[in-house]
Amino acid sequence: MAQAERYGYTVARLRAMGHRLLDSGVFQRMLDAEDLQGALKTLNETCYASWLVEMKNEGAFDEAIEAELSYVYREIEQFAPDKAMVTLCKMPYDFHNVKVLLKSVFLQKSGGNRRWDLLTRLGNLSPEFLIESLESEDYRLLPFGLRGMIPNCLAQWDQSHDILEIERRLDDLLFSQMGVLAAELEQKGVTEWVRGRIDAENIRNLLRLRRMQVEASKAAGFLHEGGIISVDKLLSLMGEPLESWGRLLAYTDLTGALSQLQDVSDFDTLIVEVEKALDEYVLRVVEAARFSSSAPENVLYYLWSKEMEAKNVRIILVGKANGADRDVLRGLLRHVNG
Amino acid sequence: MDQVVTTLLTTMSEQLGAMIAVLGAGIAAGFAGSGSAIGIAIADEAASGIMTEDPGKFGLALLLLALPGTQGIYGLLAAFFAILKVGLLGGAAVKVTIWQGIGIFGSLMPIAIACYYSAVAQGKASAGAILLISKRPEEIGKAVILPAMVETYAVLALLLSIILMNSIKL
Repeated sequence: MAQAERYGYTVARLRAMGHRLLDSGVFQRMLDAEDLQGALKTLNETCYASWLVEMKNEGAFDEAIEAELSYVYREIEQFAPDKAMVTLCKMPYDFHNVKVLLKSVFLQKSGGNRRWDLLTRLGNLSPEFLIESLESEDYRLLPFGLRGMIPNCLAQWDQSHDILEIERRLDDLLFSQMGVLAAELEQKGVTEWVRGRIDAENIRNLLRLRRMQVEASKAAGFLHEGGIISVDKLLSLMGEPLESWGRLLAYTDLTGALSQLQDVSDFDTLIVEVEKALDEYVLRVVEAARFSSSAPENVLYYLWSKEMEAKNVRIILVGKANGADRDVLRGLLRHVNG
Repeated sequence: MDQVVTTLLTTMSEQLGAMIAVLGAGIAAGFAGSGSAIGIAIADEAASGIMTEDPGKFGLALLLLALPGTQGIYGLLAAFFAILKVGLLGGAAVKVTIWQGIGIFGSLMPIAIACYYSAVAQGKASAGAILLISKRPEEIGKAVILPAMVETYAVLALLLSIILMNSIKL
């Protein structure tokens, strides 16, 4: 079937669903609220209302945010012609769950408690299934290369107790699996989006490594292959001043995000600003699809916008719960456009 | 036997011109109608998408859905002209030579080809316009004008087909 016929309904429905995304006016009202209760009251006027009703106490807003995201993923999965596109967006949550489970196992071995409360239901694999696989040591049914990776990580822990190395291996697998899935979809825009996400993650890692003053030779292991910018090029940035990164990567679309590096003095503020700019960069990779009535990338655009919306809601609510300054919170908000 | 074959061939040669014209009429109506059906289906997908979220947009979407349907009407109109010209819709019997039949067939090709492609293209343009009204319903005027511009070429093809058909003297 022609692409226009496959995605005509999906794109139109996503465009109409765009009305449900919270706009800057709602975020502003939440920011202007006196306290957490006031912010939740504003949120209660939006699509989050049905989940807020089920909230056990005011502090459990994370569950409401997760429930809304989960509902949107389920809804899109029902009508998107390529379910793999939703799988692609949910995959990082599976790897998050695997990390939580492995860390719980390691904690248990050293007499600590399991942290299953940190598991999320947003992944493709249910937490129960992952727990059962780990407890029975039966990894045969695990997808995304986890079948081999989990025993590998357990062995690594026994040898070195190096949690950073385990996280690095899992992240490497995540991005390679996302690349494989995107390639199977045979949609150029989807592949570009995954490559954009890899670039964003690499830049994020590079900045963190720079802050930790890690040598370039050791940084290679923390960068993932498959992005638009080669790992070699990224490694060469380690020896350059931060202000020149934007100029050195001027041939990519990342220059906008890296322009933040020019005028921020302290590293903490810089990382926050760049993270925000990188999130918006990932959205911009598929932004052109908004002008097409049949582009499959519209699914990614909507889901990423929803993720940003959830992130904004979480930032505001956590900030309100902790009495953070309104202007500081405003500076952390991502751009959401349905 | 020879006489039967001769009679058959004579009848065929007498009616072949009219039949070629009828073939042209069939192709014109068939292609234009198919194009319209595909175009409407493309626009339909978009309309169903926005109506799932907002059923109140039905009225606005219907206007845009109807646009790719006009090509099918043009095809049918041209086909009627052709069969009227060769006298198959009553009136005095008209003798159509093979060359005149081929001429009428040729005159119907602009409408068959242009209507097929313009209807499909208009369906895509309408789908885009339906997305526009999903976000900005107040822009319905502009949303109708954009796909309507595709219509121009179907109208020009209809005009040319009628001029060409009228230029064939029977």
